[in-house]
Amino acid sequence: MSIASRRYRRNRIAIALSIGATAFGLFFLGAILWSLLSTGLPAIRPSIFTQMTPPPGSNGGLANAIFGSLAMTVVSILIATPVGILAGTYLSEYARGSKIGEAAKFINDVLLSAPSIIIGLFIYAIIVVPQGHFSAWAGAVALAVIALPVINRTTQDMLALVPNSLREASAALGAPRWKTMTFVIYRSARSGILTGVLLAVARVSGETAPLLFTSLNNQYWSTDMNAPMANLPVVIFQFAMSPYDDWQRLAWGGALIITVAILALNIIARSLAGRRSS
Amino acid sequence: MTISTDAKATLAGSQDYEAISRRMRRQDRLFLGLTWGAATLVVAVLMGVMISLAYDALPAFQKFGLPFIWNERWSPAKDIFGAAAPIFGTLVTSAVAMVIGVPISFGIAIFLTEICPKRLRRPIGVAIELLAGIPSIIYGLWGFFVLAPIMQSVVQPFLINTLGDLPIIGALFSGAPYGIGLLTAGLVLAVMILPFITSVTRDVFNTVPVMLRESAYGMGMTTWEVVRYIIIPYTRLGLVGGIMLGLGRALGETMAVTFVIGNAHKVTASLLSPATTISASIANEFAEATTGIYTASLIALGLILFLITFTVLALAKWLIGRTETF
Repeated sequence: MSIASRRYRRNRIAIALSIGATAFGLFFLGAILWSLLSTGLPAIRPSIFTQMTPPPGSNGGLANAIFGSLAMTVVSILIATPVGILAGTYLSEYARGSKIGEAAKFINDVLLSAPSIIIGLFIYAIIVVPQGHFSAWAGAVALAVIALPVINRTTQDMLALVPNSLREASAALGAPRWKTMTFVIYRSARSGILTGVLLAVARVSGETAPLLFTSLNNQYWSTDMNAPMANLPVVIFQFAMSPYDDWQRLAWGGALIITVAILALNIIARSLAGRRSS
Repeated sequence: MTISTDAKATLAGSQDYEAISRRMRRQDRLFLGLTWGAATLVVAVLMGVMISLAYDALPAFQKFGLPFIWNERWSPAKDIFGAAAPIFGTLVTSAVAMVIGVPISFGIAIFLTEICPKRLRRPIGVAIELLAGIPSIIYGLWGFFVLAPIMQSVVQPFLINTLGDLPIIGALFSGAPYGIGLLTAGLVLAVMILPFITSVTRDVFNTVPVMLRESAYGMGMTTWEVVRYIIIPYTRLGLVGGIMLGLGRALGETMAVTFVIGNAHKVTASLLSPATTISASIANEFAEATTGIYTASLIALGLILFLITFTVLALAKWLIGRTETF
């Protein structure tokens, strides 16, 4: 066999393998979404949004868990957004190139990928133990710690994209730096920062591990942030691991709701970011 | 007359100006302080995590000493704890995930940067990235109800019958097909880390100068040869960084693994048997840990996990950073 044909054959094999790898990835995405739709859709009835989580063997829904997830996500984002944007501003605008700034960026990136269950243990130690009981506040703070590095990182990246001529133009008009930041730079990076916040929402709304020992769970409707509160991921975990058919069905319904919501957020965030770059 | 009023106006103006500029400087300092405080808070959180874990884990290390790390026995009833089984499970599931996930991620990245038609690049790229958006609990749910039964009825019997009889690697595939266990957990982890490794790999592949790539094609190299002899050597460090980033994810992943690992505190040679990981042990047992030493032991596990992932992530960042500076 000639060298050329051996090279071409090798090339064809490599191409086939990488197409196969892509098919493998897409197959799993399709398989997971298919299972969610085929098993989860039958569980989606109006009652799932109106009734409370039931004891085994009776009918019910996930209303308290959906509310709890929304409440804790909103609180966590309200905490993490200002802190994350300000921290990103410092690291990108004021500490550019300095050693300490680089170290802080590195620490933020470590926090970004740190196992979320560790964050749960941390919040358990500093909030749940001193308070003496599980609470939705603790859950929200744990989620905020997870959202914070996401928002911080995207803010850094987005501010770095704002052209320097804008900063110089604003400074030349005599604007102080904080005015330049809030009236010029934030405005031009707005959609990028919003993307970061949306991605953070998507990230925290599916988090389970840090809630297991912070907000725990609650079988009943509760709006008290100072008490344990039901939330979708923990309810899915508890119900899926149970031997009861009706609980497992609700778990699949909840899983479908949460996945659709998160994928929608991801796609919206992506299209926002895409519009910016095009 | 006119001169003096002008002078007065200028004087007043300069006083105004000074007041304004003082106020602006104050506001500037305040804004700088705010941003500095926020950035410091992020650093403080990481320090806080480390200190609080170390402090709460202390009783476990005081009671069991360093052997805590390699002692296999985990007996809540007798208050005897050793971390060997969870550490072993964490490392093995992550290793399985890397063996399956890394070549596939590279394949996807090669497909997306070199082979895929331009029009399909974006949709397929987004689809792969959506894998990262699916919450880990969904992977766990799917792994437990869909993947594990398939593993039990099809894949594992096949592995036992074919690879199970081979001399050395046979031990890895011996025993009964439980469905759940190290192999299933590793497979789920592999799918979860695909998007992370793929995305880093694509990014570093795109740092290869177009000139270099085009010259190689111009010399008559095939696509595979360009990847193998030009792109991979050029991006070596970044690729290792991407692998480490995926490894960091796999080591710390909790919910997906908790569903399919089987929660058995033992060290076994067979990949098919149930086991446990650090994160799964904490997730499963933390709420029911009644004694102080039980809780401390679980937090000690958390500390070990944190130190492992911290090292791996630090290495990853460093390697990826070195590629970008080329």
